[in-house]
Amino acid sequence: MKRITFVVGHYGSGKTEFSINLAIQKKIDYLLDLDIVNPFFRSRELESFLNEHHIKMIASTPLNGNYGDLPFLSKDIFLPFQKSDKLAVFDMGGNDAGSLILRQFSEHVSEDVDVLMVINVFREQTQTADQIIRQINSIEGSSGMKITGLVNNSHLLKYTTKDDIIHGNQVVNEVSKRLSLPILYTAVRADLIDSTLQLSGETLPITLYLRKTWL
Amino acid sequence: MAKVLMKGNEAIALAAIKGGCDAFFGYPITPQNEVPEYLAKYMNEHGKVFVQAESEVAAINMVYGAAGAGARVLTSSSSPGIALKQEGITYLAGSQLPCVICSVMRGGPGLGSIQPSQGDYNQATRGGGNGDYHVIVFAPETIQETIDTMKESFDIADYYRNPVMILVDGLIGQMMESVDFDRPVKQRFLPPKDWAANGTKNHPGRRNVINSLYLEPKELEDHNLRLAKKYALVMQNETRYEMINMEDPDYVIVAYGTMSRVARSAIEILEQAKLKVGIIRPISLWPFPKQAFDQIGENCKGILVTEMSLGQMLQDVQISNRGRHPIAFYGRSGGVVPEPEEIVSAVQNFEKWRVE
Repeated sequence: MKRITFVVGHYGSGKTEFSINLAIQKKIDYLLDLDIVNPFFRSRELESFLNEHHIKMIASTPLNGNYGDLPFLSKDIFLPFQKSDKLAVFDMGGNDAGSLILRQFSEHVSEDVDVLMVINVFREQTQTADQIIRQINSIEGSSGMKITGLVNNSHLLKYTTKDDIIHGNQVVNEVSKRLSLPILYTAVRADLIDSTLQLSGETLPITLYLRKTWL
Repeated sequence: MAKVLMKGNEAIALAAIKGGCDAFFGYPITPQNEVPEYLAKYMNEHGKVFVQAESEVAAINMVYGAAGAGARVLTSSSSPGIALKQEGITYLAGSQLPCVICSVMRGGPGLGSIQPSQGDYNQATRGGGNGDYHVIVFAPETIQETIDTMKESFDIADYYRNPVMILVDGLIGQMMESVDFDRPVKQRFLPPKDWAANGTKNHPGRRNVINSLYLEPKELEDHNLRLAKKYALVMQNETRYEMINMEDPDYVIVAYGTMSRVARSAIEILEQAKLKVGIIRPISLWPFPKQAFDQIGENCKGILVTEMSLGQMLQDVQISNRGRHPIAFYGRSGGVVPEPEEIVSAVQNFEKWRVE
């Protein structure tokens, strides 16, 4: 994988859970929570857990514990660009609003950077290839960055079936063909992984770290 | 429409559109911001009205105006914002205007926090407005139930000509669940709004006045008695609750909204510990389901009330219990969501938490 990965996508597409799973499985050095949109369910809530996995957490709100709602960024967000031997995942806020702050990184963008678009075709506003492409255009417009790869994260939480996974794969493949963008990962809930399914890209088993166990 | 994955606040917004909402007036506040954000984007597409007002006070008075003209109106806010709307809410109730108010609770009092809470039970069921009035309050526990209730709420508001409140906490607003928007809604006969002040060409020869001012004491008392009669009808028809595992339980937990989901997990753990525990889940908070407490079996050793607040619904349970069973209380506040194990421990150590 590239040294720096920006994770963008529609609200609720699963950017944060994907980022945490990716960071743990790929032994990333830095996870940056740059979500300035959401008040809860942000990766910064897992700071101590990530520390156990030797992942340093850098969050956008350093003040007021981890419970602020203040849209400013830590000066440490540029740290991964200064340490050329470290891997970093940037977990961005949703939609064009959340990816707007990517603009300040544009001078750091090089070949060693991936901008990944997380897609869940069961989200109400990204159910079809047309809707997904519109969402990609709007995120590219606000961030000033080009999406370099797709992540298929299509699921219905505990109601996900095998057919849902296949359907997600079909829709995201259509987007991939129309935009000539590779599908780098297909995220599948760990207990649903089935080697007979022909899924695009690397299959990333997903454990839900932020969701309450009783939900 | 097949199942889709929705965030609670977006679901509230789309369910309002599906419920026939004509207009939204509101002012931003965390943790309900996705409601106006979604509606700002999509009300227009559906040919409906969206206005971001200059304040919560302005928004609720815009609701008054649009409801008075016969529109189906929604406003949405969170704890301190709902506090600001209280004056408008009593005017709406006093003028018998239908509307739907969505309240996504956060920590309090005052500015509090932005984390989930149930600290506005009293605010919702008692209200901070003046006079003998009630708001019909529903507290769903899942996003699906929130959608179904929201869709129906516009009909209920129109039927009784009264504000209806959907009360959820920030967790329901912010979390994701897979949901279906096309579940059927109970059909109600809704008379034409011949009382609406929507221009004399719509009601020739008659001026409709929307008003809550009655200077003559007898006139105002008659008005209050008419309202009281209506509220009695609401109590009779719209009281909602769910009885879970209530066949002769050892203990009963009373919980609503998010807390009832924590309680559902807790009773499964307690079952393994050979304790049979049931749940009374009030769905309508006003009217409060008093009758549910008449159905508690004789072998019940006590009632545990749990809230993400420090003893608000507890008072309604005490009134409904009428001294029949011992009552204990376990609550967390400030934005802390209890884990099922805490509820398990509170049941197992009932005497420690006993209040009555």
